Amino acid sequence: MLSIQGIADYPALGRLLELQLRLWPDHERFLSMRFAAANLAFADRVAALAERVTDDLERVATDYRWLCERMSDEELHFRRTGSYRLTTFEEANREVYSNAEYMQRYMNGVLLSHVWWDNHARVMEYYANSFLAKNREGYRHLEIGPGHGLLLYFAASDPRCSAATGWDVSETSIGATRGMLDRLGITRPVQLVRQNLFDASSSEARFDSIVISEVCEHLENPKLALEQLRTRLAPGGRIFVNVPINSPAPDHIYLLKTPEEGIQLVRDAGFEVESSVLFPMTGFNEQRARKMTVTISCVVVGTV
Amino acid sequence: MTTLDRLNDVFREVFDDDNMSVTRATSASTVEGWDSITHVTLMVNVEKAFGIRFSSAQIASLKNVGELVDLIETKTKA
Repeated sequence: MLSIQGIADYPALGRLLELQLRLWPDHERFLSMRFAAANLAFADRVAALAERVTDDLERVATDYRWLCERMSDEELHFRRTGSYRLTTFEEANREVYSNAEYMQRYMNGVLLSHVWWDNHARVMEYYANSFLAKNREGYRHLEIGPGHGLLLYFAASDPRCSAATGWDVSETSIGATRGMLDRLGITRPVQLVRQNLFDASSSEARFDSIVISEVCEHLENPKLALEQLRTRLAPGGRIFVNVPINSPAPDHIYLLKTPEEGIQLVRDAGFEVESSVLFPMTGFNEQRARKMTVTISCVVVGTV
Repeated sequence: MTTLDRLNDVFREVFDDDNMSVTRATSASTVEGWDSITHVTLMVNVEKAFGIRFSSAQIASLKNVGELVDLIETKTKA
């Protein structure tokens, strides 16, 4: 049985770990790597949030394993060809977004990836503890594609945030995000709007803080999306762009092959780069991740 | 050159270790750095070296190098 020093102090993480390993004993080696040098406090915090957003954590943990198996299929294609299997939004919509059951399992798996995957967890921690903390007092916040709602939760529960907004093109996703925020106890108003970020005419809103996390790789033209978001950023505002490098997944269509391409994408959209941080996948340091072209989460904070 | 000998060359290249020497008993639990990503990379390199193709299920089910040798020989004789 996996033994993590100090785990007794983190009951939510301990419970979730026990559940996940009961359902997937072979995942022990991976989770051992994950928690070899991890921030257990933050992992426990996210595990506790995961417990609150669902009535069926066993199903969510089962779907996490399912997601890993889907990712393995995509990884095999990527290793064989050097490219993502899908390249158009139409393909991703047909295979993934229009399939409600598939989407539910996918979102369940992604939820727990923020506990079990080093890069996802560290991005979230960086976002919650570093990016938001540097926003100006009273910041107006926007998230593109809030999905599971965890990132939006951190902004909405920040007393320094005066207004939190989420945009999504899917009414179903908006409903799911609303449900998540309700279960997480967010009582302040959070504006969740069905809004296509490319539709400039429908909104003149400006924001001091924008986050677009794990969205760019789902778009055929992420540079255009970032250019649109640049027009939404108020003077002095900051954007948090999180894009994975070499990250095959069932609905990823835009391949960035190096962190430098990710950083340049933000520059090409007209932003000044305030900072960039790289988070390699579990079990890899940056050097080995680059050499083996495995997933690196590339976070770029931009300003105008 | 046996299948195991040819496999050894693939392992040495993937793990970047010219002194590596695998046996039928060699498995992911006995080789440092043989994680899930390395496993897929290894399998793709084996496919290229032997001119064969594995299914996802076959890749996931292999327990040791011995089973890999047997699978390769089944596919190359087919």
